[in-house]
Amino acid sequence: MYSISPRVLAIGKNGRNLEILVAFLEAQGCSSITAKGLSALDEKLKTESDIALALVDITDFDDGIWQRCRAIHEKGIRLLVISPRPCTETQTRSTMHGARGVLVKPLVMRELSALVRALLAESAASFQ
Amino acid sequence: MNIQTTNAPLARLTTGIAGLDEITGGGFIAQRSYLVRGGPGSGKSTLGLQFLAAGVATGETSLFITLEEPEARIRQSAEVRGINIHGVEILDISPGSEFFTDGDTYDIFSPEEVDRVPVTNQIVEKVKTLKPVRVFLDPMTQFRYLSSDAFQFRKQALSFLRFLAEQGCTTVLTSEMNVSQPDDDLQFMSDGVLDIDTGKGASQRTIAVTKFRGSDFHAGTHTLKLCATGIDVFPRLLPIEQKTDFIYESISSGIPDLDELLQGGIERGTVTIITGPSGVGKTTLGLQFMKEAAGRGERSVIYSFEEESSLMLKRCDDIGIPARSMIKQGSLQIRKVEPLQYSQDEFARLVREDVEKNNTQIVMLDSTAGFALSLRGDEMQSRIHALTKYLQNSGVAVIIINEVSAVTGDFQITEAGISYLADNVIFLRFLEVKGQMRKAIGVLKKRLGDFEKTLRDFEITRYGIKVGKPLTGLRGILTGNPEFESLSH
Repeated sequence: MYSISPRVLAIGKNGRNLEILVAFLEAQGCSSITAKGLSALDEKLKTESDIALALVDITDFDDGIWQRCRAIHEKGIRLLVISPRPCTETQTRSTMHGARGVLVKPLVMRELSALVRALLAESAASFQ
Repeated sequence: MNIQTTNAPLARLTTGIAGLDEITGGGFIAQRSYLVRGGPGSGKSTLGLQFLAAGVATGETSLFITLEEPEARIRQSAEVRGINIHGVEILDISPGSEFFTDGDTYDIFSPEEVDRVPVTNQIVEKVKTLKPVRVFLDPMTQFRYLSSDAFQFRKQALSFLRFLAEQGCTTVLTSEMNVSQPDDDLQFMSDGVLDIDTGKGASQRTIAVTKFRGSDFHAGTHTLKLCATGIDVFPRLLPIEQKTDFIYESISSGIPDLDELLQGGIERGTVTIITGPSGVGKTTLGLQFMKEAAGRGERSVIYSFEEESSLMLKRCDDIGIPARSMIKQGSLQIRKVEPLQYSQDEFARLVREDVEKNNTQIVMLDSTAGFALSLRGDEMQSRIHALTKYLQNSGVAVIIINEVSAVTGDFQITEAGISYLADNVIFLRFLEVKGQMRKAIGVLKKRLGDFEKTLRDFEITRYGIKVGKPLTGLRGILTGNPEFESLSH
C-alpha cells in the first residue's frame, strides 16, 4: 500500500486490459484514470493535472503514440511503455521519447507493483 | 447420502451406472476424488451427469462445475439422454460469448494472475454454501492454464482436492488427455483413475479402471456403450465369479447309438465342441440334445451368429425336430445375433442374464467363426473362455459349433484355437468310401469318462438323426479318404 494516493494514467486500446490494469492499481492503493485511444489521451492530458505516472500500452497504436509519449514526458509525468513483444526498435523509441522503461506483456504483477511503487515514490519525492 | 456399504469399512457412493459399480466393487469411495480420462466425445461428461443424477435421486446435493460447456447446453444434453439433473446445481465458469464479441480477451497479465483467484473464489464460495455430497468438475485440465508452471498446478490441484474432501465431497474430475499435454500428475494425485478408450471407434468404446485406492477392482477393459439413456457399462465376465453346486449328470441325446458312442451323453457343466465341415450336420446334432432336454422340461438357447432362425426352424421341420412347439412351450429359444450388434462383453451379459433369469440348462453357440466375426472387440479366445467357464460353473451344458474349412483331408479339431476349452470333442466327417459320400461321427475327447474309440455312420433323415454301428475294417478315416483294410493289402 502507498502512503499517498497518486494518480496513474493507464493508456491502451484494449478495454479489458485497461479494466484489469485499473483493478490491479486499485488493489495496490493507487487511484487511476484511463484513456482508450489517442484522442481520449489528448483530452486527459489537457484536463487532468495530478498524474504522477503513465502506463502506455502501445499495442495497435500508430506512430502518433510516440508523439504522445513525448508530451507525457514533457509534462513531467513518469512513463512506462508496455510492449506486446520484445523489440529493439520499441526499446530505442521508448527511451528516445522519455520512457523510464519498457515492459513486455504478459506483465508479472509482482514486478509491476515494485516498479510502480518506485516510480511513484520518486515522483512524490520530487515534489517535496 | 446414498452410501452402499461393502465388506470393507469404507463407505461407497453409487456411480449411477450399474456396470461401473460392479467393476469398482460397489461404487466410488466417499470423499475421494476420481479422474475420468478420455478423448473428445468419449462419454466423460455423460458419466459425470449420471454420477450427479444418482445423487439427486436419493436426495444428495450435487454440484456440476463447468469450465467449458455452458449450463444451458449441459441441461439440454442431459435431457436428450433422459438423465434427470433438475436438482443438480451448476456452477458455470465457462467463457460467455461476450468474451469474443465484446473483445473481452486480455493479454496484459497471464491468465493465472488474472483468472485463478476469481475462479477459485467462486468454487470455494459455492462449495461452502451448498455443501455438496457429489461434485463433478469438467474439465480439470482447464486449471492447468491458470497455473504458471507444472509445480504450481500440482500444488494447487492437490490443495483443491484436499479442500473438497474436507468439505465432505466425493469428486469426479475429467481430463482431456493428449500427447502434448500429459496428465500423469492428475493421475498420481487422484484416488482413482478411469480410462475411456475410443481408439477403435465410437462403437467400440471401452472403460478400464487403472487405479482405485482402498479397494479391489475388476482390471482389464470393459465395454462402454453410449445409449439413449446414457452410459451403460458391460463388465468383462470373469470365469471365477460364480460357482453353483450341481451334479455332473449325463444329458442323453435320445439316440441310443449316439449315447453309446458317448458312453452316456454329455455332462452338465461341460463344454462340448461339435466340429466338422459345412453342411455335415453339426447344428442338427446340437439340436438333438436340446430336443431331448425339452422332453425333460429343460430350457435351451441357441445363439445363432449366421443362420436366420426361420431357416433353422424350417430345417428342424424337415428332420422331425419339433423346434416350433419347443419354442411355444418355452423349452427352446433361438436368438439370432446380428453382425456387430453386441460387443463380446454385452453378449456375455445377455447370456448370463438369460441363464440366471430363465434357468437355461443348455446353451449352444453357433458358431465360433460367427462369434469372432459378429461380436465387436478383440481377444475372442479369452472372452469365449470366460463365457464358457462361467456357464460351466453355473452347471450349464455348453455346445460350441465349430466349422472347419476343409471338407476332407488332414484332420483338425478347430481353427479357432479353442480346443483347450473343450471337455468333449465330437467330430463329424465326410468320407468317401467306394466312390460314395458318407458321413461319420466320432468322439475325440471326453474329460469326464470313457468313450468309444471307433467312428460310426452318421445320417440325417426326415425322421431325424441316425447313428449307425461302429465302422470297423477301415483305415485312414481321419484323412477323409479311408480304405477298407482288406483292400489296402
